[in-house]
Amino acid sequence: MSEDLAIQLNMVTKEYTRNSMRIPVLENLDLDVCRGEFLALMGPSGSGKTTLLNLIAGLDRATSGDVIVDGLNLSNLSEAQMTKWRADHIGFIFQMYNLIPVMTAQENVELPLLLQPVSRRERRRRATTALKIVGLEGREDHYPRQLSGGQEQRVAIARAIVTDPALIVADEPTGDLDRTSAQEILELLESLHRDLEKTIVMVTHDPQAAARASRLLQLDKGKLVGDEMQTAPIRPGSVVA
Amino acid sequence: MKYLGYIFRNVRRNILRTILTIGSIGISLFLMMLMLSFLSINATVSETLKGSNRLISMSSQGFAVPLPIRFVEECKAIPGVEHASPLAWFGGSFKEEKMPFAQFGVDADTFSEILYDRKVPAEQLKAFQDDPAGCVIGYKMAAERGLKIGDPLPLKGAIYPIDLDLTVRAIYECKPTEDGRALYYHWKLMEELLKSKNQGRMAGNAGVVYLRLADDANEAEICRKIDAMSLNSQNPTRTMTEDAFVSQFAEMWGDMRTMITAVGFAVVVSLIFVSGNAMAMALRERTTEIAVLKAIGFTNGRILGMVLSECVIVAAIGGLVGALGCKLLFDVVDVSTYTAGGLPFFFVPWRTAMFGLGVSLVIGFVSGLFPAISAARLGVIQGLRKVV
Repeated sequence: MSEDLAIQLNMVTKEYTRNSMRIPVLENLDLDVCRGEFLALMGPSGSGKTTLLNLIAGLDRATSGDVIVDGLNLSNLSEAQMTKWRADHIGFIFQMYNLIPVMTAQENVELPLLLQPVSRRERRRRATTALKIVGLEGREDHYPRQLSGGQEQRVAIARAIVTDPALIVADEPTGDLDRTSAQEILELLESLHRDLEKTIVMVTHDPQAAARASRLLQLDKGKLVGDEMQTAPIRPGSVVA
Repeated sequence: MKYLGYIFRNVRRNILRTILTIGSIGISLFLMMLMLSFLSINATVSETLKGSNRLISMSSQGFAVPLPIRFVEECKAIPGVEHASPLAWFGGSFKEEKMPFAQFGVDADTFSEILYDRKVPAEQLKAFQDDPAGCVIGYKMAAERGLKIGDPLPLKGAIYPIDLDLTVRAIYECKPTEDGRALYYHWKLMEELLKSKNQGRMAGNAGVVYLRLADDANEAEICRKIDAMSLNSQNPTRTMTEDAFVSQFAEMWGDMRTMITAVGFAVVVSLIFVSGNAMAMALRERTTEIAVLKAIGFTNGRILGMVLSECVIVAAIGGLVGALGCKLLFDVVDVSTYTAGGLPFFFVPWRTAMFGLGVSLVIGFVSGLFPAISAARLGVIQGLRKVV
């Protein structure tokens, strides 16, 4: 595997079994994603986008084939190893933000750092920096219920980047936001890709969101039906100073 | 430790449910502590009396059947017995009080030697010994009835056809686990009054005999000697150490002990269901949250530990409220005040309170086990599917 490859999928198949019936979701998928790419996954419902994302993020296992992320074949990892690997290498952004409602923004962002061997002071410092990157400076002590949807998603993004993961996976990160908030979140993801050189894999239904990515993959019935490189628009006023 | 903050936030998340769970555990354990204390209190008092070097000799038919007074002198003659005194229950009523408190006729000269743990100032003891109608009362009794040295204390006979017109000559102090409301008077006074009222057939009764042994005396050997001495008399005796005497009151509970234990066990099991149901409900509401935690790297073991800790914390708070609360309450509140002396003292022994706290931890652990395992086993995809 080339050192420039962040993700490599070789003949990946994923099937579910329901009532003894095999339901293929992904079929013999091959894919190479370079480091620092911003990949958008599009396709109709049931095309296998989220399943592919889950396989790349180590949340699920392929029925056959190899899923290699950062040079590591995930198929060879035990459940516990996979969990530890996720904690160290993956940042998650969900459609519904999925913040812990009883924790402040700062504490939510600190959550993944509880699994790292860092001091409390260092946790605090890193979380504050992450919140600053997403433009939520001064909102550290706010609870999720005190934030707008867009701000909640920014906290979720801060949580995703606080451990400085190589790969960020986002499942419809703008799906629950109004147009303005969605634009802000997409600009933020764009700047993470551009300024922090993060590899991002994003599932979306929104063509405008997909247009922000550097590469667009089209999935249909578990197969790749489109793969095009895009020139992501560079916008002024990057959130990363 | 670094997860404690999150665990405590979860405990407070649905405060009403948590309070209700804590309340149900607390109240049930409170009642359980009461029941267990009733069972164990005599055993606890008995423990404190071990090594007191005192024996009690009573009729083999029970302590309600009095022994003859000559038996006191016969006991004194046994090597190893240092002091012996009658201990005769009078059972009179004071003023309008319905419930008699403990009133014992004793040998005034040996009273303080045998009951050495009733602390009486020397001058008061002498005043008691010098006054044939004098009496010694407990500090609680003095405080509750406003009695002080020199006050008259008339007792109207209920069992005996005589009245005792006593005067308070001494007030004793004692440990909280002892009866601070007893009254001791001159046995001879009752004897003389009975004889003067031509009630000779009721005279000459020692009640039970209270003995103090020499420090190096063999208690078991002396008990055997005393009982052997009376074996073929009209009044065979049963002699035992003071702690054994107290223990037999615990044995009187008999089958009640089994029943109370069974009820206690049923309470524990029902609490496990109550607490387990509350926790399962709480976790059902947090399915997605648990899936997110697992997605970002929390292991099954960590999730299991956090959920179990949450359960144990809630149950332990219930235990603190119920078991330790009960202990502290009865350390402060004197139950005897509300039972007209029927229950001279009541307390929750530390051992019982700690047992209650332990039970609450077990309830928390067992009730949390199933929800915790379910949470730990929850598939990330399955948990996230609700929103993803």
